[in-house]
Amino acid sequence: MSPRAPAWRKRRRNRRVAGWLVDILIAAFALGPILWGLSTSFKPPQAILAYPPEFVPSQPTLEHYALLFRTGIHRFVLNSVIVSAISVALALALGSLAAYALARLSFRGRSTLMFGTVALMSIPLPSVLVPTFMLLANIDLTNSLIGLALLYTAYQLPIVVWMLYGYFRSLPIELEHAAMIDGCSRLRTLRKIVLPLSGPGLVAAGLFVLTFAWNDFVVAVVMVSTEEAKTLPVAIYGYLGFYGRDWGPLTAAAMLSIVPVIAVFIAFQRYFLSGMTGGGVKG
Amino acid sequence: MAHMSSTGMGALGPGQPRRLMRQRLRRRDEATAFAFVVPLVAIELALVVSPLLLAAYYSLFRVDYFELTRFRGLGNYVTILTSPMVLNALGATLVFSAFSLVLTLGLGFALALRFERDTRSSVAMRAIVLVPYVISMLVGSLLLRWIYPRDGGLSSMALGSLGLGDYSILADPRAAMAALVSNAVWRDSAFAMILLLAGLKAIPAELHQAARVDGASAWLRFRRITLPLLRIPILITLVRLLIHFVNVLTFALILTGGGPNNATQTMGLAMYRIGFIDFKLGEANALAVLVFVFNVGLIACNLVLFRQRRGS
Repeated sequence: MSPRAPAWRKRRRNRRVAGWLVDILIAAFALGPILWGLSTSFKPPQAILAYPPEFVPSQPTLEHYALLFRTGIHRFVLNSVIVSAISVALALALGSLAAYALARLSFRGRSTLMFGTVALMSIPLPSVLVPTFMLLANIDLTNSLIGLALLYTAYQLPIVVWMLYGYFRSLPIELEHAAMIDGCSRLRTLRKIVLPLSGPGLVAAGLFVLTFAWNDFVVAVVMVSTEEAKTLPVAIYGYLGFYGRDWGPLTAAAMLSIVPVIAVFIAFQRYFLSGMTGGGVKG
Repeated sequence: MAHMSSTGMGALGPGQPRRLMRQRLRRRDEATAFAFVVPLVAIELALVVSPLLLAAYYSLFRVDYFELTRFRGLGNYVTILTSPMVLNALGATLVFSAFSLVLTLGLGFALALRFERDTRSSVAMRAIVLVPYVISMLVGSLLLRWIYPRDGGLSSMALGSLGLGDYSILADPRAAMAALVSNAVWRDSAFAMILLLAGLKAIPAELHQAARVDGASAWLRFRRITLPLLRIPILITLVRLLIHFVNVLTFALILTGGGPNNATQTMGLAMYRIGFIDFKLGEANALAVLVFVFNVGLIACNLVLFRQRRGS
């Protein structure tokens, strides 16, 4: 800009630059620890503790990742995938049934059930871990992927029901009436008319369950102790004890856990937000 | 004809009153509805509600390796309430929750105001700020743990340049607590931002426009329009954050391990230790019941606010 630019224009430009700087600072705080871990995961061991630190590895290496796969991290990744998939399928199937009943049918106890669902949404998990562990131990469901998936389903069903309830209510009821006049049962109407129209709602609810199941650590670390049933976060916790201060493999494992989540988050950002506010998705 | 029989109307003769037909339809709807909600109710009762009831029962016994060996009455509660470890954890939880709450809410509010408009850069910045929230808590705390240690941590390099090379953040009780709070603020500010942003969006733009026409300054509009209309969203955010902070286990377990000298051992971590390290499951259940009673108060607040928001 020319030095003779009017003062207001200069002021505006300064303000804009200051705004960018603030944004960069905010982004640095938010992403800094993650990028630092990413950088560490590609450094050869002798460079990790080097002073002054290298922010971009000068001799990047994949050796930490190779070490993790040699020692079988893919089993834990697979376990996490299985548990997440079962949880999402169960939560969406059971959740859409209940949400449809709440949205479209009148029955005794309906408002009690709505109230109970909302109340269960805010139960903090750490406070129920001890008794849940004893219950599962008694029915032999600890150290089991199915047991974990059932718990995740139970914890996420209330929010799934709530999200789908809102979504189903926003659909035009005339289509369902038409289907029923054509002889469809309620179940068939749900399957053939309501669910195909509820894509965004199902995606939002499914993503919520997916990230919860993939990320969960506190529930899994309590319920699972055998190698066969460990999910990725529990395995990473184990590495923390095993590798101790060897931050190469630790940060590499951390990256394996968060890269898929960040990718999904970027692709489906809009859907994530609707779940956090416990509100409806706009179709 | 097909549709008549399948909806159950075929059985009714033409002369029968419509009321009967409607009644029968409603009863069938009710049966369907019950069938649809049974899985939800069953799984919640079995895996969420029954553990809470079991906790109350187990808390009255001495438990050895899942066997209820001796009835202790309220003995476990006495042990818990007089345990220096638990009282210490209560103090740590209060300090942690208070600082985390104020800072998270404050920062979340600032972020919500800054990124309120749907410009491209705002939307991108919201996504960036949300990343620490969407990744696993375990990994988030792990990555912060790699920032703070004396040997090799990023923070020590910064401190080293200030001549504090020997200072170890996680070995100083106050600094370790600050580190724990920083973990909460780093992760959960974006959560507060999203909840408050939803509240901001619900304020009709005309109010601000009208006030601007009347010559109200930005500060005055914030005080007289934004804040009053945001009362419920702020309270909802506050209660939801508090429920989270009072119970959270991962931050302390991974970042500080409760140390140094138990200074950062919060209630969630104490419960985990008593139950799964010391394996005193009777006492752990008693503590779970006590913490849950406290939570019920918070959850009740949350429900009242939830209802108010929907009502308005």
